[in-house]
Amino acid sequence: MTSRAKQWLEQIHQLPLTKKIRIMNVCGGHERTISHAGLRSVLPETIELIPGPGCPVCVCPEEDIYTAIQLALNEPVTLVTFGDMLRVPVNVPHAEIRTMEQARAAGADIRAIASPTEAVKLAHDMPYRQLVFFAAGFETTMAPVAAMVAEGLPDNLLLLNAGRLTWPAVAMLLASESAGFDALIAPGHVSAVMGSEQWQFVVDQYSIATAVAGFTADSLLAALYSTLRQLLDGRLFLDNAYPEVVTPGGNVTAKKLLHEVFDIDNANWRGIGEIPASGYALKSQFDLHNARKQFALINDASRKHAGTMPAGCDCARVVLGKIYPNQCKLYGLSCKPRQPVGPCMVSDEGACRIWWANGVREQAKIA
Amino acid sequence: MKHISLAHGNGGYYMRQLIENLFVKYLHNPLLKIDTDAACLPPLEGELMMSVDGFTVHPLEFPGGNIGSLAIHGTVNDLAVSGAVAKYLSLSLIIEEGFEIECLDRIVRAMADAANDAGVAIVCGDTKVVARGEASGLYISTTGIGIKQASANLSIHNIAKGDVLLVSGPVGDHGSAIMLAREQFGLRGDLQSDAASVLPLCQALYDQPGLHFMRDPTRGGLATVLNEITRATGLGVRVYEENIPLRDEVSGICDILGYDPLYLACEGRIVIVVARAGADDLLQVLKQVAPQAVIIGEIIQQPSRVILQTVTGGERVLEELEDEPLPRIC
Repeated sequence: MTSRAKQWLEQIHQLPLTKKIRIMNVCGGHERTISHAGLRSVLPETIELIPGPGCPVCVCPEEDIYTAIQLALNEPVTLVTFGDMLRVPVNVPHAEIRTMEQARAAGADIRAIASPTEAVKLAHDMPYRQLVFFAAGFETTMAPVAAMVAEGLPDNLLLLNAGRLTWPAVAMLLASESAGFDALIAPGHVSAVMGSEQWQFVVDQYSIATAVAGFTADSLLAALYSTLRQLLDGRLFLDNAYPEVVTPGGNVTAKKLLHEVFDIDNANWRGIGEIPASGYALKSQFDLHNARKQFALINDASRKHAGTMPAGCDCARVVLGKIYPNQCKLYGLSCKPRQPVGPCMVSDEGACRIWWANGVREQAKIA
Repeated sequence: MKHISLAHGNGGYYMRQLIENLFVKYLHNPLLKIDTDAACLPPLEGELMMSVDGFTVHPLEFPGGNIGSLAIHGTVNDLAVSGAVAKYLSLSLIIEEGFEIECLDRIVRAMADAANDAGVAIVCGDTKVVARGEASGLYISTTGIGIKQASANLSIHNIAKGDVLLVSGPVGDHGSAIMLAREQFGLRGDLQSDAASVLPLCQALYDQPGLHFMRDPTRGGLATVLNEITRATGLGVRVYEENIPLRDEVSGICDILGYDPLYLACEGRIVIVVARAGADDLLQVLKQVAPQAVIIGEIIQQPSRVILQTVTGGERVLEELEDEPLPRIC
């Protein structure tokens, strides 16, 4: 494994690269591997690796987190959530409860889980209690959620669903005036579910070199090499550097379940706004399990900055790959993992958190 | 009775039964008396060292050990890496009402085996039973007294620029085995915890010239010990990813769940800092008791951070843990 990574690196260094090439990844797992392996420091200087929209926690709508907090505080329910959602702040005055963690400390029953199936187990363990599972995530999370729903949820388990699709965000970036990248590393896990074919449009419609990668330095370097060769040769195609897991058509069963359980809707992305056909919404036949239908929801849309990133926080531009984490003027100053301002500093998938955890402490000079 | 009831903690008949049929049966030794409130210990030669540790591992039983063996090894190991050979342990258990007595039997038996192996006597103990829901099964706390070995003068403040870092075997086994045992993530595997006494390893090294410091990388793993070194000394650490031993199963689990194995707990490994001149000799000695021991890096003057040189030749900083690491959700 080690020697493979070194070989890819040598091959990349032998390429006749002259001008700057910007390569975006759209998965927190990829950004972690890049940072963990220190790839930025060993690649040729002409290559820029840009973290893009790859963190489900970061783009989870502020109003949904607010709603989850209010449900947990005001309704007789147990709120079940992924652990890295607990500390994401919403936009309310500092004296009020701003995170699920604070709500829990104030007495709300909030349970952190790591995998969606734990929500079902908890519901079985507490048959007399109503549970609301705050299901936020990309296709990889929503596929097991769909399987749970299709199998039949326990009567006492409801979903507050905030699932998102990855590709519409990339499509939106590409359709904008300044996409800001020449090549795309497509996410391995998402592609395993949805199929690598899903990214064909990036090559066909936008002439962006694309390769699917797994989560080792090997696989990422192979994918980087592929996109660089594509650009140098002027011959673009969709490559797959994760063939042991990813097939063109993806996981047929998972896709069928997603289709059976969810409608695709326009959906809000925190700090970015509405992206067409980018959200999973529970089909009406599951209304009894839909927290949005079962509770008079407590989203106060008149709140100041409802739905946006916190004031002064540049997470939205970090998520879109417009700036690097340490180009945000709060990075490492008022925003650190212990006192996060924006969601990118909270989640292990967030670019700011990943950079901080891997030792980036200095603010970048903005050119 | 198959389960622990509140009556097992009330000081009466059932409690006496439990103590006699379980604790005394397995842990008996001449110093452990059930009819006294304090153990009377014969005089010991030399400086004494003392350590305490609490154990709350979940699940209580896992491949390679259980909370009982862990509770003995944990305290014996803390003394061993500090330069002392444990002689006596105290034992305190908090048991939740409804706990299976058969399971408690296995745990106490494992304690007895671990104590025998380490040559340590459990000289006093206490059990409390709390109502169902007030604890998660069983908590154990052990306190140990050991004799400081004259040749071992170990302190984090002995560490100097140019010193060499070693680890006694693969890292992250315990943390990964526990995650598998929780079966939370639908993963299966044969991985065993490395939970063991490190006393034999430490004893082999006490006389080695240039030995400066040892620590067992438990909570927070190898990376956390390295950060403790930089924080206490103001010096830096450089380690080489290529040299750090890691089982394929461990790196596989970490790849899937998004954990960093360098932050996962070990329960039977030691990290050693030795003066450069003594490093090769020490490694030879250590290899006789820990064949997978290797040199993983060195102490540098600046920067005062833990720098990992990755297999691709890149660098990253191993930072102090911020909060509980969580698996990725996408």
